[in-house]
Amino acid sequence: MTSIAYYPGCSLHGTSSEFDASFRATARALGLDLVEIPGWECCGNTAAHSINRLLATALPVNELVKVEQDMKLDAVAVPCAACFSRFKAGAHEVAGDPQVAADVRAVVGRPYHGGVTVQNLVDVYHDSVGLETLAARAVRPFQGLKVACYYGCLLTRPPKVTLAEDPEYPTHMDAVTKAIGCRPIDWNYKTDCCGASLALTEQSIVDDLVGRIVSDARACGAEAIVVACPLCQTNLDGRQTEIARKRPDWQGVPVVYLSQLVGRALGLDQKTLGLRKHLVDAAAVMG
Amino acid sequence: MTTALAVPDATAAAAILRRAGVNPYKCYQCKRCTAGCPVAGYAGLHPAQIMRAVQLGQLDLVFADRFIWLCTGCETCSTRCPQDIDVASVIDELKIIARRTGRIHPDAPSAAMLKYNYDSFVRWGRMWEVELIARDALKRPMSLTQWLSLGPKMLLKGKIDPTLKRGDTTAMERMVKTAESITRAREAQRAGGTPPAEADAGASSGKGGAS
Repeated sequence: MTSIAYYPGCSLHGTSSEFDASFRATARALGLDLVEIPGWECCGNTAAHSINRLLATALPVNELVKVEQDMKLDAVAVPCAACFSRFKAGAHEVAGDPQVAADVRAVVGRPYHGGVTVQNLVDVYHDSVGLETLAARAVRPFQGLKVACYYGCLLTRPPKVTLAEDPEYPTHMDAVTKAIGCRPIDWNYKTDCCGASLALTEQSIVDDLVGRIVSDARACGAEAIVVACPLCQTNLDGRQTEIARKRPDWQGVPVVYLSQLVGRALGLDQKTLGLRKHLVDAAAVMG
Repeated sequence: MTTALAVPDATAAAAILRRAGVNPYKCYQCKRCTAGCPVAGYAGLHPAQIMRAVQLGQLDLVFADRFIWLCTGCETCSTRCPQDIDVASVIDELKIIARRTGRIHPDAPSAAMLKYNYDSFVRWGRMWEVELIARDALKRPMSLTQWLSLGPKMLLKGKIDPTLKRGDTTAMERMVKTAESITRAREAQRAGGTPPAEADAGASSGKGGAS
C-alpha cells in the first residue's frame, strides 16, 4: 500500500462530508493509504489572502512542514480545489522569494524544504493511481454515460502556480472519466467561475453564473456534471433548485464529485458514496 | 468613470508594487482581464478600469465601487494578462488597503463575510461554516430570506453540519500573532522610510510578504 498524507479541509468535514467519504472509500479500494494530517488547521481559504498575505502563505506551508518533517511523507492529497490552490500558492511563494520564506519560517517555526508534492483529486486518480490501473479496477464501468467535466477556477489557475498543462482547456479529468467507461463531452464552460463564496452574499449573481454553466452542459448533451471542488458542487447543485423556482421549464442536471463517479465504477454502493445528499437527484444516472 | 476626480494618491501604484509584487504600470488596457471576468458586468467598474485607476492613484474611485468585493478570486485575469500582471493579487491588495483605511464600500456584504470567515478559523483553527451565516444574519436579518427555500432542503439532505470542529487552536493563535506582528513591522518600516521614487527597488521582495 502506498501511503499518502491527506488534508481534508474544513468543507469536507462540514457541508461536503460526502466528498470526504467518497474520496476515502475510493482510496481504500485503490490501495492508497490516506494518512490524515494530525491536528490540521484551516488553509486560510479565500479570506486570508485578502486580509493578511503572510498568514495566507504560512498556513498551508505549516501543513506541508508537518507532512515533510513529522509524517515523513512526500505527497499530500488535497481534494478541495480551494485548499489545493492555497497549498500550491504557499509552496510557490516560499520557493520564489527568500524574504517570504524567512517570514513564513518565523510564523511556522520551522523551514519548509519543498519535499512534498501537492495533489488535487484529479492528480490522485490520474497520476498516483494511473489510468490503466483505474480501468482495470473498474468492476462496474459506466456504459458511455455522457459527462461534462467541470474544472472551475482553482484546479488549473493560475497556471504558473498549479503548473496545469492547459489551463484554458484541461483534459485530465476527462481522461479519468473515460477510463471508467464514461463519455466526456466537449463543452464551453469547463473553466468558468461558479461564483464561489458569493453564494453567501450575492445569490442572484451566482444564479446567473450557475445557470449559464449548467445550461451549456445540458445543451452539449451532458447527463451529469462532474466536479472536484466542494464549493463548485454546492453552488452548481444547490443553486439549481433556486433557478428552477424562477424558471419553471428548468431541467436539472445532477452534479457529482469525481470521487463518487470513480467509486460507482469501483463497485462501491451509493450510500457509502453519499449519493443521497444531492439536491438535484443523482441516484438515477449513477445506476 | 464620471465621478469628480479626488486628490490622487501618487504613491498608490508604487505601494501595490511593493506589497503585491505586481507592477500596475505594465497594463496597456487590452482589457482581456475584463473580457474574462465573471463579475465585470455586475459593478460600475471592470478590472481594466481598476488597473487604470491604480496607475493614476485614484483609489477613491476604486473604493466608491463594489467591484473589488465582487471579485471571486477566479484568477482568469491573472492567467490571461499578456503583460503577466497578477491582477487578482492587485485586487487582493486593494481589499487589504480598503479594510485597513476604513474605506470598505457600504453595500458590500462580502467584505464582512470575508472577515467572519477569517475570525472563524483564527478562533477555532478551522472555519465553522454555520458561524459565518449566523453572524451575517445578525448583521443583515433580511439575508435570512435568501435561505428560506434552499436552507431547509439542504438541512433535510444532511448537507449542513452544524457541529464545531476545532484544529490545533494553540498553534493557530501563535501563527496569527506572529504573522500580524511581522506584517505590522513591515508596514512601519515602509511608512517610516522608503520615498515613492525608491519604491521599485523593493518590488521583488514584496509578493506575499506582508500587507
